[in-house]
Amino acid sequence: MLFFLVGEALRDLRRGGRVAVSAVLLITLSLTALGAFWVLSLNLGRALVQWRDRFRVVVYLREEPPAGQVEGLLKKIEGVGGIQRLRYVSKGQALQALRRQIGGQASVVAELPANPLPASVEVTPAGEAMTPEGTRALIQRLSALAEVEEVQGGTAWVEWLAQLQGLLQAIGLSLGAVLALAAILTATTATTLVLHARREEMEIMRLVGASEMVIRLPLLLQGLIQGFVGAAMAVGGLYGAYRLALPTLEPLLSFTLGLPRAAFFAPAEIAVLVGGGGLLGALGGLMAKGERPA
Amino acid sequence: MIQLKSVSKVYRVGPVKVTALDGVSLEIEKGEFTVLAGPSGSGKTTLLRLLYRDEVPTEGEIRVAGFDVTGMRRSRIPHLRRAVGVVFQDAKLLPARNVYDNVAFVLRVLGTPRREITPRVMQTLKAVGISARAQALPAQLSQGEQQRAALARALIKEPALLLADEPTGNLDEAMAEEILYLLSDIWNRGTTILLATHRATLANQLKRRTLVLDGGRLLKDEA
Repeated sequence: MLFFLVGEALRDLRRGGRVAVSAVLLITLSLTALGAFWVLSLNLGRALVQWRDRFRVVVYLREEPPAGQVEGLLKKIEGVGGIQRLRYVSKGQALQALRRQIGGQASVVAELPANPLPASVEVTPAGEAMTPEGTRALIQRLSALAEVEEVQGGTAWVEWLAQLQGLLQAIGLSLGAVLALAAILTATTATTLVLHARREEMEIMRLVGASEMVIRLPLLLQGLIQGFVGAAMAVGGLYGAYRLALPTLEPLLSFTLGLPRAAFFAPAEIAVLVGGGGLLGALGGLMAKGERPA
Repeated sequence: MIQLKSVSKVYRVGPVKVTALDGVSLEIEKGEFTVLAGPSGSGKTTLLRLLYRDEVPTEGEIRVAGFDVTGMRRSRIPHLRRAVGVVFQDAKLLPARNVYDNVAFVLRVLGTPRREITPRVMQTLKAVGISARAQALPAQLSQGEQQRAALARALIKEPALLLADEPTGNLDEAMAEEILYLLSDIWNRGTTILLATHRATLANQLKRRTLVLDGGRLLKDEA
């Protein structure tokens, strides 16, 4: 029975001709658009996670505390709440870090009459303080401490990145939804044409006692095949574009977002795309209108 | 095998009512060969369509092969149709499939195991005398051969009842006789047959029980 149903579905696809091909191409197009925005959003998401992890609030101290009082000061700072971890940076450590940063011009530092850099504490906010509001509140609480000269840090640009990711997802979903609708309608048209071409066969099938499931299943299978082929082409196209763009894309991502490499879909995400394609096609097949028995 | 109690069928075309069948009651036993005679438009085709639930009666009760056809749910219709074979005046063969595939198609849609299909199809084609034309397309067949292929398609699922709606309507006398001979042969093997025809001579020639319809009413029931 399965051979028969699949055979009928393939025969119907051939009957569908150009309309069936158009349905496959539209499914490919919609999933390519959706997939392209998804890949971009995926990489932005990775950058966000990485940058959120690296995000610090720097608390500059009025005076460098004596070594014996550092522990107490850190406890006091931790006491303001919303802190995941903190690290004390002495004036000497700050100067060493500066030397490392400026590299070739490190001799300039040696000419300074005294170390001008303040001691500081690097604060990693806890998850709930990672939002712009949470960070602002944390900075306010830290600024209120008597030992603190100035507090620097903000999540504005991280949030901007998050908004960009949201925007990309919204554009991808909207464009994908419009194209998906077009794909469903084309698959429906292709299946409806096939229904008309199969009118005589369906009449005979009903006459000899075939169940409605056996009559309609080839149409559903036809849609599914169109969907799977369209999705496979979309994934193949996206992967080809990804491989082609990789040499240019990776240095750019590394420079702008700090990502060492651009990611493509994981197998589970590919399965979602292909499944989505199958669903689009199947919906088209199910929505086709044909003659019903009395 | 067939029971009709006060069956009427009225078609409504806008405000106009057309009575195709009017209070028809009859009973046909299992294993009978019955002729349903009457002029064109007398209600023969409507009666047959009611029997395989292609139409629903306006009034009355119908039972066919143990099925209550009148109150039947849509999902049960395929079960009824598996027990009933139907042939028409035009053979209604699928033009793009050859004779073998037209007949095998029935077994395929009914989910028959693949290994059983070829032997059963060839056996049935042989029984109706068309096995030599198994690979021919319908357009390459004579009218008589097309009707034989249609009979093979109706018989392949071994129905308890065969409804034949003017199967000789498009055939000349010689071919018509061949088909009638074939129907008698099928009946001899135990299939109940209801043959609708407008040819009075044909009905007389068969010497079988004859039900005469006219204007949607059952006028005669002659043994």
